[in-house]
Amino acid sequence: MRLQLTARLRLGLTRRTPAASGAAALALALAFPARAQVAQVDTAHTLFHESPTRTNMTVYTPGVDVSVTPAEFLTVRGGYEADVVSGASVATKAGPSYQSVNPGVDVITTASVNDVRHTPRGGFTLRKGDVEYTAQYTYGTENDYRSHAIFVGARTEAYEHNTQFEISYARNFDSVCDRVQSVNDTPPRFRALEDSKGCFTKDPLRRTRSLSIDGFQASWTQAWTPVLATQLVYTAQLLDGFQSNPYRSIVVGQGLKAQEHHPDNRARHALALRINWFVRPIKTAVRLMGRVYRDTWALTSGTGELEVERYIAEGLRVAGRGRFYRQTGVVFWSDDYTGGDPPLGPKGQYFTGDRELSPFWSAAVGLRLTWAITPAPKPEGGAPRLLGVFTNAKLGASGDVMQFSYDEYTLAGTPITNARAYILGLTAGAAF
Amino acid sequence: MTRTLAVIVTTLSLAGCVTVKPSQRSVLADPIMQFEGDPQASAQLRHAIENREGSYGGGGVAGGGCGCN
Repeated sequence: MRLQLTARLRLGLTRRTPAASGAAALALALAFPARAQVAQVDTAHTLFHESPTRTNMTVYTPGVDVSVTPAEFLTVRGGYEADVVSGASVATKAGPSYQSVNPGVDVITTASVNDVRHTPRGGFTLRKGDVEYTAQYTYGTENDYRSHAIFVGARTEAYEHNTQFEISYARNFDSVCDRVQSVNDTPPRFRALEDSKGCFTKDPLRRTRSLSIDGFQASWTQAWTPVLATQLVYTAQLLDGFQSNPYRSIVVGQGLKAQEHHPDNRARHALALRINWFVRPIKTAVRLMGRVYRDTWALTSGTGELEVERYIAEGLRVAGRGRFYRQTGVVFWSDDYTGGDPPLGPKGQYFTGDRELSPFWSAAVGLRLTWAITPAPKPEGGAPRLLGVFTNAKLGASGDVMQFSYDEYTLAGTPITNARAYILGLTAGAAF
Repeated sequence: MTRTLAVIVTTLSLAGCVTVKPSQRSVLADPIMQFEGDPQASAQLRHAIENREGSYGGGGVAGGGCGCN
């Protein structure tokens, strides 16, 4: 479930079905003269799998986007994405100190997770001169979480199109299912949500917690030479509301476990610099990215990425990439809240069993193949088309492996040394 | 704060001195030089990775600096 929660915090999400979004896009397209009409269909599929000690998680993410440009000043788009999740996650977390005084008890439990998150979306882009305005609405729904998200953004160009500025704002109105707690209980005595039965109904044992997310982003993209461009991106996000995993319990004292308890407020800042450099002598594009992050839960992280890509045949290119990530834990992170020597022990009023909030590093390597297909010109003239329909098409496939190394996170004192994730991706797109 | 603003303004002003002519933008316009060449695939990969990390943000935006998107 944590997987879904974090995903939901980061996505914007809606109510229309994908069919309705596509129909709306096509209806709007047909309402304008066909002078500049171009339609684009893209689909992407990602399969994620990891199976570290005692847990496992498989997520299949299919997605499709349709965009239509009925006039030069307007693009209308609709799309749909899902997360099909299955696996087993940690339901009760304890640390080595508790385990050492309760050696005969296996305090770590897991729970099976099976859910589907649906996220239809729709939006449009308006253009006037060198300026573009974009708006989008996304709805997300699953058994225990619902989300409405709006996105607005503006983009402009300057200095003879060598400079682009983009700013955007996103707002999420999210709802999280939780268990009703006893009136006189406080967080150390709250019980975790057992399952998603009764969520978003009038079930007296269920309640809905709110979470609002405000996101701001500003970027500056600059062409410096004919083979060098940079991009600077700043992102800020303010979260207010329920941010815990309602299903997870933490052992907080001898014989006492409680529902995970995170602060309600969090402010996050990230700054990233990207450099794209085409190295002419070896006809290869080199991409570098560095990112720093800091939030009010005292989590600090740094990310470095390197990617090289080159053509190996006409329209066919191959890319290799590597990524390194390092983060500190949040200020209230402890692998065992029942005691022990630092860094174990209680950390104030909050407690978490989320390994993503513990200190760790990860490294990833991957490969990607992309094939852009352009139809050959017709000898008799006229616009060339693939299969008589498409003006161009694109296919892509990728594979990535990520290895995680946790500094402190254990399951009752057992370090997790085999956390390795595999990510496969397939994409296809066509314009007509 | 004042110093930060001065750095930003100076850097942005320097950008105005850069002139890459349209005829020189063929490489920048190539898909190989786009920051988000396949936005949907990039977003899905980022989604999968960020779910395993405690941080968020700094995702790229489309475009390759060629002014042709």
